[in-house]
Amino acid sequence: MRRSLLTFTALVLLLAACSGSSTDTTAGPTDTSGEAPATTAAPDDTSAPETTAAPAVDGAEITIAIGSEPSTLDPHTRDDGGERAINDNIYETLLARDAEGNLQPLLAADLPTQVDDTTWDVTIRDGISFTNGNALDAAAVAGSFNRLIGLGDESEQSGFFGTIASVEAVDAMTVRFTTSGPDPVLPSRLYWLKVIDPSTADADGFDENPVGTGPYTFVAWNRGSDVVLEANADYWGGAPSVSKVTFRFIEEGGTRLSGLLGGDFDMITNLSPEDAAAVPKAVSVTGLEHPIFILSAIDGPTADVNVRKAMNMAIDKQALADALFGGRATVDQCQILGSNLFGFNPALEAYPYDPDTARQMVIDAGAEGATISVVGESGRWLKDRELIEAVANYWSEIGLVPDVQIYEFGEYLNRLFDRETRASAIFVSSSNDLLDPTRQLGNYYSSDGIGSSNTNEDLRQLVADGAVTTDVAAREGIYHQATQIACDEAYFAFLLNIEDSYGLSERLDYTPRLDGRLLVKDMTVTG
Amino acid sequence: MGRFIARRIWQGLIVIVGVTIVVFVVTRLVGDPVRLMLPLEATVEERAAFAHALGLDRPILTQFGDFVAGAVKLDFGESLWQDRPAFQIIAETMPRTLLLVAASMIIAVVVSIPLGMLAALRPGSWLDRSMVAGSLLGLSVPQFWLGLMLILLFGVTLQWLPTSGIGDWKNLVLPAITLALPALGRLAMMVRSSMIDELNKQYVETSRAKGMPYWRTVTIHAFRNASNPVVTLTGWEIIRAIAGYSVVVETVFAWPGIGFMAIQAIKQQDLILLQAIVFVVATVVVLINLLMDFAYKAIDPRIQLG
Repeated sequence: MRRSLLTFTALVLLLAACSGSSTDTTAGPTDTSGEAPATTAAPDDTSAPETTAAPAVDGAEITIAIGSEPSTLDPHTRDDGGERAINDNIYETLLARDAEGNLQPLLAADLPTQVDDTTWDVTIRDGISFTNGNALDAAAVAGSFNRLIGLGDESEQSGFFGTIASVEAVDAMTVRFTTSGPDPVLPSRLYWLKVIDPSTADADGFDENPVGTGPYTFVAWNRGSDVVLEANADYWGGAPSVSKVTFRFIEEGGTRLSGLLGGDFDMITNLSPEDAAAVPKAVSVTGLEHPIFILSAIDGPTADVNVRKAMNMAIDKQALADALFGGRATVDQCQILGSNLFGFNPALEAYPYDPDTARQMVIDAGAEGATISVVGESGRWLKDRELIEAVANYWSEIGLVPDVQIYEFGEYLNRLFDRETRASAIFVSSSNDLLDPTRQLGNYYSSDGIGSSNTNEDLRQLVADGAVTTDVAAREGIYHQATQIACDEAYFAFLLNIEDSYGLSERLDYTPRLDGRLLVKDMTVTG
Repeated sequence: MGRFIARRIWQGLIVIVGVTIVVFVVTRLVGDPVRLMLPLEATVEERAAFAHALGLDRPILTQFGDFVAGAVKLDFGESLWQDRPAFQIIAETMPRTLLLVAASMIIAVVVSIPLGMLAALRPGSWLDRSMVAGSLLGLSVPQFWLGLMLILLFGVTLQWLPTSGIGDWKNLVLPAITLALPALGRLAMMVRSSMIDELNKQYVETSRAKGMPYWRTVTIHAFRNASNPVVTLTGWEIIRAIAGYSVVVETVFAWPGIGFMAIQAIKQQDLILLQAIVFVVATVVVLINLLMDFAYKAIDPRIQLG
């Protein structure tokens, strides 16, 4: 018996040794790269990391691991992050966002000019063609948008183009957009909707053979495994440096991390905050996700505004940013808009962390010991469950009794969208793909939105006005009023703006973008 | 024999239909694919219109009728997630899983039989005890953890093998070992115990007394008699690997097989793909069971089927 115990112990030790060596490799990124520890970026580095003196080499081949396989490579039918990661390099849009998030012309020669409330003209940039040789002109752009309009509700993106009534070519290089009503969001929509060659759209296999105007052309899609693109040498913006890119689909975060450490990948997306120290280089950028709790102003203990304010003051937001996200998150300024988004209200400030005052406010409101139903989910968003539990704990410290209910995502959505009974607090991560507040405020601020828990008529009217006011300054003023009301009324427990983090190999340089696009043409490889 | 086959096929059909009904009903009760597919910010009208476009607003019996009518022709409908026939997706992913399972079962069987036999020859010896300890370890290590450890050791530290994905034989090594290990542990234990039973029987003594070489007695006579439970367990291991363990192993190694696809279908609430996968996997399981029945007969002609 003693002998078998000995053998057993030996085996356990052997396995422990394996796991021990793994901790070593994750702790010391330079050990695994086998190179000089020269370019390790500090974990807090939010811009491009310091690069070595080694110059960029053109013609490199890189591999990027993304979290999910695209459902299709047709850029018009799905709302799918995997599809976007790839098609953002093949197709282009009329407008683009710069590093600050401002709209800039891309395939358009200029920003759109507004003719009247519902009409906008866009001039197309000269001398661009699709990689199949067809020229990009007004007719092609109109054809591309009309295909999208024709898809209607069959497209998951209908919410992004639904207001566009018709698109026509008025001359060779000018396209006229007509909207069904005044639509100040139109320029933002043109940043989202990709331009295809309409003559290819009806061909069989269009969803597997994308042809665009972009810096990369499609080579192959090995289902389940990867998509391969190569540089478009004739790209109108100049041939990109990286000549070939393979997008691998790796669902599991630990496997993506291992692949980066093992040298299989040059870049991984959705880098977990706790892994940032392990990778050769970690870069991050202000993201579009704002986790919040929607507090019910309709009934229950949270119907009292002072209870809602107390719930905001109970939360140490900076501590959450540091502890859960390794500092890769910033505290929201009492609104679900980031500071670089249109409509951001710079006059607002986050509720201070003051648990003592908050506790007194709860007592004064007669809500001490009141049960707060907290509805959430787990696994959909970064650190969602941890965030929910941490916040619930803060609330229990000011005398409330949170009843946390974590549901499977489908069931969670049933409760988020249930207009009849609202839980006291519903967790949601609000995102803003268009970088425009219309949709986000319409859903969560406006009383007729799908995820709002208030009955404020003034706020509803403001949000509705904002959606149809085309005067930029007036529209901004409306959003400032709306965000002011929601902050004063504490309709939400405002939390954080999460940064997007990426892990890079030693040799790859890339500055991640505010809009979350993964543009290979901006990547360079050294050595 | 004929009656036996007919009965087993009939029982198999009941299993397949039962499983299909359960999956069909449960997925429609708990999930709403429209809500998952559309952005969170989509309006109520957008959701309703999208549900209509997918045909998900029809009565559940109509949907089930369509599914059954299609399934008999191997037409399971279009995957909601990938917009192409679900059968095509299964035809792509199933062979990858079968390859992985075949490789792992070969490893498990080839290693476990000699190990178990050697251990059974001298119960209580150091070889026997370390085999038992090793088997226990193999079958109790969580595959998720084991897979990541193997990736870290052979993919990251030593860089001998790729960390994930499909490609050539190198990609197969780590996932196959990960999938094989628990099966290997259980099989080795099974071979050992049934061999110990068998070697204690009188005919072993007799054949020895008659001058037959001991190794022949062990490998030919005793093992053949001891192999029936081993075959049962192997069949069971194959089924569990296809219908269960592959989910974990394929996820860890980004191996795009049927288990990985099942998880995707659940995550994407792709009801069409999910019910197709369940239908096909259930059919495969029933077929393997049928094959096992014939295998018993082939090994031990004393067994009467029927």
